[in-house]
Amino acid sequence: MKTKRYLGLFSDFDKAFSTVMAIRGGDIPDLSVDDVTISSPIEHPEINDFLGKRPERISNLTLAGALFGLVFGFIFIASSQAAFMVQPLGGKPVIPLPNNFVLIYEMIIFFAIWMTFFGFLGMSGLFKNSMRIITNRPQTLYSERVSLGEIAIIVEVTDEQEQPLVHLFREHESLQVKHEDIE
Amino acid sequence: MSIKNLLENWSSYRRGSEGGGHHNYEHRWTMSINLDQCTGCNACSTACYAENNLAVVGKERFERGQAMHWMRIERYWDQPEEEEYPSSGASFVPMMCQQCGSAPCEPVCPVAATYHTPDGLNAQVYNRCIGSRYCGVNCPFRVRYFNFYSYYEDAWPEPLNQQLNPDLSVRDKGVMEKCTFCVQRIRVAKDEAAMDNRKVKDGDVVPACVQTCPTSAITFGDALDPESEVSKMWESQQVKRHTYKQKKKDPNLRGYRIFEEMNVEPSVMYMERIRDEKV
Amino acid sequence: MAIKETIDESIKWAEINADVLRSLETPRKAYWVTLAICVIMLFCGIAAETYQYNVGMGTAHLSNPHYWDMYLSSFVFWIGMSHSGTLLSAILLITQSNWRKPIYRFAEAMTTFSLLTAAIFPLVHLGRVWNVYWALPYVSDRGLWPSFTSALLWDTFAIITYLCASVLFLFVGMIPDMAICRDSATGWRKKLYRILSAGWTGTDKQWRNFRQAYLLMACFLIPLAVSVHSIVSTDFAASLNPGMHITSFPPYFVAGALFSGCAGIMTLFIMLRYLLNFEQYMTLEIFEKVCKLTFVIAMVWSYLNLIEFASVWYGHDLPNKEVLIFKATGPYSPIFWTMIFCGSVLPFTLAFKKLRRNLKLMMAVSLLINLGMFAERWMIIAPSLSLAFEPHQWAVLWPSIVQWGIVFGSFGWFGFLILIFVKIVPSVSMYEVKELVYHHRRELFHWDDKFILGIHSIDLQHKKLVRLVNELHFAVSYKRGRELLEKTLHDLSSYIDLHLDYEEKLLIDSGYPDFDKHKKGHDLFREKISSFVDRHNIGDETVQHELLEFLKGWLTHHIQGEDAHYVAHIDESEHKDEN
Repeated sequence: MKTKRYLGLFSDFDKAFSTVMAIRGGDIPDLSVDDVTISSPIEHPEINDFLGKRPERISNLTLAGALFGLVFGFIFIASSQAAFMVQPLGGKPVIPLPNNFVLIYEMIIFFAIWMTFFGFLGMSGLFKNSMRIITNRPQTLYSERVSLGEIAIIVEVTDEQEQPLVHLFREHESLQVKHEDIE
Repeated sequence: MSIKNLLENWSSYRRGSEGGGHHNYEHRWTMSINLDQCTGCNACSTACYAENNLAVVGKERFERGQAMHWMRIERYWDQPEEEEYPSSGASFVPMMCQQCGSAPCEPVCPVAATYHTPDGLNAQVYNRCIGSRYCGVNCPFRVRYFNFYSYYEDAWPEPLNQQLNPDLSVRDKGVMEKCTFCVQRIRVAKDEAAMDNRKVKDGDVVPACVQTCPTSAITFGDALDPESEVSKMWESQQVKRHTYKQKKKDPNLRGYRIFEEMNVEPSVMYMERIRDEKV
Repeated sequence: MAIKETIDESIKWAEINADVLRSLETPRKAYWVTLAICVIMLFCGIAAETYQYNVGMGTAHLSNPHYWDMYLSSFVFWIGMSHSGTLLSAILLITQSNWRKPIYRFAEAMTTFSLLTAAIFPLVHLGRVWNVYWALPYVSDRGLWPSFTSALLWDTFAIITYLCASVLFLFVGMIPDMAICRDSATGWRKKLYRILSAGWTGTDKQWRNFRQAYLLMACFLIPLAVSVHSIVSTDFAASLNPGMHITSFPPYFVAGALFSGCAGIMTLFIMLRYLLNFEQYMTLEIFEKVCKLTFVIAMVWSYLNLIEFASVWYGHDLPNKEVLIFKATGPYSPIFWTMIFCGSVLPFTLAFKKLRRNLKLMMAVSLLINLGMFAERWMIIAPSLSLAFEPHQWAVLWPSIVQWGIVFGSFGWFGFLILIFVKIVPSVSMYEVKELVYHHRRELFHWDDKFILGIHSIDLQHKKLVRLVNELHFAVSYKRGRELLEKTLHDLSSYIDLHLDYEEKLLIDSGYPDFDKHKKGHDLFREKISSFVDRHNIGDETVQHELLEFLKGWLTHHIQGEDAHYVAHIDESEHKDEN
């Protein structure tokens, strides 16, 4: 069972990546690269090579939002036009389609963007973090030096893996090592 | 509930005016104006002011174009070169809301403050209007008027406010208004006919301008009643309601509708003034 | 896709943080002066609107036929200005133009605040403002819905969508920067940034989702922006007035919007660069690119303007033609010609490098361009209404001081919002600049002046070679896919052949004495390259890095060594030819 979370700070990407490669290579028994997270000030384009392919599922949510906007938009607009017979127009149909196309186009984009936004907050874990801020619970392990330009590697370890990990960090010239207990 | 409504009536809701539309007309109030008989005396305009609680805005505002004359007499000079009697070239066109069958002012109101009644009138709902003035921009005849100021505050000082017509409202600022074919008189006539259990006869409804015109240049009636005077006039002039290309057998017929090519289906037919040189 | 040098690559990340965060601190005096001016303008607007609200729309000197005047034209103008952010942020993101990175933040802020400014005008222009919510599609207790056939209602939908989308886009893009601010802030600011950064810690999961979400939002924002201004144009195109009822209005308006937006970016660029001391990040190279973009869009707008005039001129629609002649020669003609001058003639100053570098001139040019665009929006409304169908209602009318006051106030409101924004949110995107600097530092081969030989054609070819080597490096190290790798490799090897042949021909023609030795060097090089290519074709993956290192080494050595030797000889022989 994972009992501790360790954070190691490195001065640049190369050192951090070599540490990850070491973990990948099996230097620490039973520790897989899936337990590793990298915190960095920018996204490195080769990061998937080191951490392995991890899922990106926001586009599904966007599609769902767009389809919802399409269906809901049409039903909403056509129904309200059908219901509002108190003030009909002369010479025009009650449910004109060209107007509805314009409005449905906007509704597709409206819902797609909101779904993307909420999907992003949910899937990236930001929603969980925000909830922790609001309820005053302790934050995820983080170092403020990441914004200055250092790279942090966060690993979840068991008691046996603790010492080898710290040793590995020191080997790769880590600038600081922090840890916390996983509740 | 409205989704059920939508599914049941889908085909009729999708029909435009060419397919008969969704609506059934009970009456179809129409007007005919004989420009040869119009002397440009402005009595109709004055009557309209009195009947419909229109405010006199004053010289400065009138010149700026903020007047409220629902019925206006447009004066055109079409024989400017005539030297001996230059005023003989004056043409007068009484212009008011044409109550278009396919009104361009109706679809552009964002809050649906203007709509088409089953009587064939283009109705303006003062309470719903938020004053975006898109309808006024879209009217090719420019017969829609906007309340630019709160006229009720100073247009009728005591005791002038006693002349106001109680049958209709005095509008506040920010609201669009226009000629309604004296809809308050139409309602009274219809109510009386309903009370007597009969149909509305030709001549029951007399708008203020029709009532006042000294030369009887304006004729008003129900186009769906084939015996009404106005129906007969339209027919004699061979002007048809639902088309913008009038095919007339006799080229001497004087009847026409203004801006026919806009295809807005006006309910007012004008009969051209007979020019002196023609006679 | 070459990574062009737009900002100095040697800036350290910590320095970027410090420079940008410093801009959030106590402002210089010029900032306070600008803010005061904006607030005064805003108060003028509020005073004018209060007067108009209490007395009536007549104070604006609106009339029958002039039901619409500066309010609608300002509305369209501000919606147009909002396309700046979309263009710079979303469109250039999709085209992977890196030079947008230091400047897109304030452009996106411009979008949001232009929309907020534009939102004033439907309120100001309505006769009964207090009922404006009736235009929203909500379930009312009377069963009343707005009229979905009205273009003003499509505006409502479109602008609400656009406002939500641009705020969300701005917010999402801001989150990593808010995290940096949170980490360096103290006091009430720390609390504010903690909320705004939404718990961002920079983990790979957050970055991955961030990148995807940001890209998806940009993909939706672009068709949205095009549709919003097209819908706004249908306010006019869907009416029947001559001069307004033109089918080319949607693209014309979108082009005008992009044009306005770019000019607005130019103005804000110069202003913020001065007010916040961002000379290192908002460099003149980037400004040049913005100017060039503005010039291109100016030409597009001028073309669309021209075809609008041409289609009216050659058509049979008499009212339309009369309105056009009225615009050009009637009482409104000074404004018409201002529009033509500022929109089509003045942008030519953007085509000359010397003028582009003169920032004071560019500030004046950008302001005048926007003046021209404002005039354009007004010219669409007023002359068409002055000379519409009904001859009795033809009239020439000018807006009153109340209208001027409110329009003036809107500029103050916009400036006020922007100035407050730049003090809370960093207007240079720190994480994007860090990315830019990081990638540039990782470029394999930096072109340096020491590689310039003095022979123009050879220098151009060497430059292209270096660029191709860098592209190959990029394709290899950023794993951009097999296809790009093959293409780049192929381009590189064929260009190498071309260059070597050209060089050899040049040397033969000039009678270079050491030609044989030089050619031997070339042949060895050709052999090495073809052996690398063969190894690549049989599937050897490690050859790419070797090839790149070899190329870098060989080119550096060869250009500065053997090629430098023949420079003197070529110069001599050229002089001989001239003589």
